[in-house]
Amino acid sequence: MENKLRIMIVDDEPIVGKRLKRLFEKEGFEVGTCTRGSVAIEELKRKHFDIVITDLMMGNVDGMKILEFVKTNHHVTRVIIITGFGKKETAAEAFSKGAFAFIIKPFKIDELREVVRKACAGLKAKSAS
Amino acid sequence: MQLKIWHKMIIGISIPALITLTGGFFTYAYINDVKLRHGFVEIADDLRDRVLEVRRSEKNFVLHKTEEYYNYCNDGINILNRSLNGISPEIAEQVGKNDFSFLRDSLKAYSGLLIDLLGHYRQEDIFIEKVRDEGRKLEAFVKTEKHAPELSINFVLDLRRLEKDYMLFRDTASFNRMNDALSEVNSLVPSCPDCARYPEAINDLISVYNKINAMENDLLIAGRGIEDTTNRIAQSERQKVNAFFTSTQRFLMIVLILFCTLIPLFVYQTASYVVAPIKRLADITRKISEGDMTLRAPIKEHDETYTLAVSFNRMLDHLQLTRSSLEKSLELLHEKHVEVEKRASLGFLVSGVAHELNNPLNNISLTAETMKEDLQELSTEELREHIQDIISQSERAKHIIEELLDFAGTRKSTAMEKLDIINVLAESINLVANQLKVSHIHLKKDIHKTPVFIKGNQSKLEEIFVNIMVNAIHAMKESGTLSICAKPDEKEKSITVEISDTGCGIPKKYLNNIFEPFYTTKQSGLGTGLGLAVTRSLVEKHSGDIDVRSKVGEGTTFTVRFPLYTETD
Repeated sequence: MENKLRIMIVDDEPIVGKRLKRLFEKEGFEVGTCTRGSVAIEELKRKHFDIVITDLMMGNVDGMKILEFVKTNHHVTRVIIITGFGKKETAAEAFSKGAFAFIIKPFKIDELREVVRKACAGLKAKSAS
Repeated sequence: MQLKIWHKMIIGISIPALITLTGGFFTYAYINDVKLRHGFVEIADDLRDRVLEVRRSEKNFVLHKTEEYYNYCNDGINILNRSLNGISPEIAEQVGKNDFSFLRDSLKAYSGLLIDLLGHYRQEDIFIEKVRDEGRKLEAFVKTEKHAPELSINFVLDLRRLEKDYMLFRDTASFNRMNDALSEVNSLVPSCPDCARYPEAINDLISVYNKINAMENDLLIAGRGIEDTTNRIAQSERQKVNAFFTSTQRFLMIVLILFCTLIPLFVYQTASYVVAPIKRLADITRKISEGDMTLRAPIKEHDETYTLAVSFNRMLDHLQLTRSSLEKSLELLHEKHVEVEKRASLGFLVSGVAHELNNPLNNISLTAETMKEDLQELSTEELREHIQDIISQSERAKHIIEELLDFAGTRKSTAMEKLDIINVLAESINLVANQLKVSHIHLKKDIHKTPVFIKGNQSKLEEIFVNIMVNAIHAMKESGTLSICAKPDEKEKSITVEISDTGCGIPKKYLNNIFEPFYTTKQSGLGTGLGLAVTRSLVEKHSGDIDVRSKVGEGTTFTVRFPLYTETD
């Protein structure tokens, strides 16, 4: 159980959290969900997460803030952005801030699964070295 | 009376002219009459002068008792007669026919008296001669002293002196003295025929004298009568002329007064008669210019103003028609403006909504994929939950699209009805909510909790709020706070909605114009320039008012106020 990777899912749409939690638990991850950015940051302070999947538009503390927080505090953690407002500029900003991937809603489960797998591979490679 | 202006003018000018002419004519006639009368005065004066001449000759004749003076008298009478005969019967009629016939008769009698008197004068001369003769005889007789010793020569001489005195003075005193002496002669020598002849001669003379005296008296009376008559004629003619002068003066005075009062009155009347229709037209023109286009010029007179009034009315009809069609075009144009502005807002809103749609779509696809992958593993309970999620997310997507379509104008009703403005405001905020999210704009609401009713149109009110909010979002670009405050004022019977942004603000010099159509400070392509003009006209359609205050760098606040719904609405 110790080598289970932790995934944090932040989205103000509760359905996204529910579905992805089930999906990734089946894949063997330990999954935490949040619908508010501020709660997510509190959780991230408390616990280490290997992957953070976050929405962008969420009111006051949005995905970009979470990305910034993660990159300053746990730079190993991979951050995957999922958003319905897929603008080029936003994507560029996210990548420049260190996002691992930028996925536009609505996405296919396989698409996300693939990205997460790649992230995990990177993490394993890092921890191996 | 229906007269043309120039007819009125001619009447207005010719009547005073006629009055003047009549006055002038009468004055001329009067003066002519006076001239004629003056001629009569001259005639009468002439007559009187001649009569005086005759009377002077008469006096001389009576004094000198000679034929020469009689001839003078006669000449005078002849001249006078000629003058009298020279007077035409018309003039005699005018001056006094009776006077002239009296004059003629008197003159005839007068000249008869004169000739009689001349005869008597000659007789007197004879008798005087006889008296002298008898006197001388008596003297001679007495001087002989044999025939009548009673008579002294001195007495006779005295008698003769008395006789001379009497003949000289012919007065009663000298007559009495002489008569006394003669009686004495008779008593002294009663039977002396020689002595008796002298008193007889004197008595004859006395009787002639008496006759002459009577005649002279008659002559005097006749002369005086003639003189008086001519005097009277002259005087009465003079009086008549004077009376004529007085009445002419009075007449002229009356004419003058009539002139001074009637003519201005008439001129004024004519002028007002001419001016009245023009004035009526002017009044109407003024009233129309004040805005009442339904008024028309009265068509009463059939003069030149008739054409004017008719043309004027036709022009007004035309103008009114043009205006109403223009108003219709303007209304249409306004509708177009509203439409254009709505499309602009819609374009802006669509990008937000499109992104917003991705969320329910993502939820649906995610749920559906999960079901597909784990169909066998999912419990009936879980399956029901998944299906329910799909249904509710489909509803959500439908709702988002509906909202947009609603705003886009599938709801075309323009009816004004009682509606809750708080609800309308909430729906409007919903429409821009996604845009706020995209632009990182924080929304601060201070909105009355319970429904507030006004009379209005849902889609128009939504457009008002959306327009203002879209403007605010544009002003803030990226990030800022949009504050919306809605509070009813029970006292003022109105509700005020304040929409403030923390954007760039509007410079003071633009503030006055921002509600004008096509006035925009936005970059070209960003705005239609119609937004606020349309917004204001929509607010005014709701009997409301809109106001703006702004500070550069701090933000802008739009205040919209609507009257509350009342039962009478």
